[in-house]
Amino acid sequence: MAAVLGLIIGVIVGIFVKPDIPIVLQPYLPIMVVAALDALLGAARSYFERSFSDRVFIISFISNVLTATLLVLLGNQLGVGSQLQTAVIVVLGIRIFSNVSAIRRFIFKG
Amino acid sequence: MVKLSSWTKHSGKSRINDASGSVNDETATGSFPVIRKKPPRLVEGSRMARLLSSLLIAVLCASLGWGYVIQLNNSTSIYETMSEEELTRLIGETSTQAQSLQQRKTELSNQLNMLQEAANKQQEAQRIAKQNEQTSGLLSGRLPATGKGVVITIDRGSRQRVDASTMFQLLEELRNAGVEVMELNDVRIVTSTYIDDTKNGLICDGKNISAPYTLKAIGDPQNLQNAVTIAGGVGSRLKVKFGSEVTVTPDDNIEISKTRQPSQYKYAKTIE
Repeated sequence: MAAVLGLIIGVIVGIFVKPDIPIVLQPYLPIMVVAALDALLGAARSYFERSFSDRVFIISFISNVLTATLLVLLGNQLGVGSQLQTAVIVVLGIRIFSNVSAIRRFIFKG
Repeated sequence: MVKLSSWTKHSGKSRINDASGSVNDETATGSFPVIRKKPPRLVEGSRMARLLSSLLIAVLCASLGWGYVIQLNNSTSIYETMSEEELTRLIGETSTQAQSLQQRKTELSNQLNMLQEAANKQQEAQRIAKQNEQTSGLLSGRLPATGKGVVITIDRGSRQRVDASTMFQLLEELRNAGVEVMELNDVRIVTSTYIDDTKNGLICDGKNISAPYTLKAIGDPQNLQNAVTIAGGVGSRLKVKFGSEVTVTPDDNIEISKTRQPSQYKYAKTIE
């Protein structure tokens, strides 16, 4: 409930408030969004599994975003930024797919 | 025996458990996730803490949505987020492309210049050819001509007939004065024209002509007139020696319609 409400509020705020993202942060924003999406879908899955814990969700959300960002940052510093970015996106994408398929099973199995 | 009964009892209990479980649970494959009972909350937080965590979740999800929309509306150039190497590579590629395009442009414009030059040359050649055709056509008598000039009439001499050499002298005088096209009694005068005496007149290019002679000449009227009427010239010779009347009439619109076929050259060839 809080999550859906928060999403709606965030989208509305994003539509009306358009701040200038600092250039330093710009390459990491898409990664952050994807990581957060993964965390959100993981939370949804655990919600369907009845093992949802708000504490776990908060920690996993933050750690997901931070890990993804730091990984890309590290890659940028090592000169393999774009490759590592691709790797992170791929891994998160796989996770999102598996989460979604798990959720689908719950929904269609009743 | 006791032991055995306890075994059977245990197994029977487990079978009962299985049976009760198989009513609404199909976990046999093991690949499907198990719906568990909601576990008891590990740490029973206070009402305040639960509200706080809900709020935190809302804030995090809001930041997700916000970030998504921001990234969606992010219309700044992609070059800003590119690394130095990527930019270097991109600049290299772009400059190579620009160079090759420049080269292609140079090639094409060279080709265009060559074609234009060729076209101009051809046009020039065509123009010269046309001019030559006109000039030689007038010169050889192939084309009719019109223009200003003079009409010279010479009537029958009262003392004697006008002879061919005097007539030829008249033509030569006119040629010296810059005559361009001439016609003598319906005979076009060209470079190969001859005049000879006959018993009762003259023969010009195989055609008998007799007095009065009419000579149409296209050229500068003043010069032609002077050439004939100059003191001691051919005009006075005609008057004095043959006693014939010579009139020179300038005309702004003389038409010479007589033409003749140019002779085919048999031996002479042009030098390329």
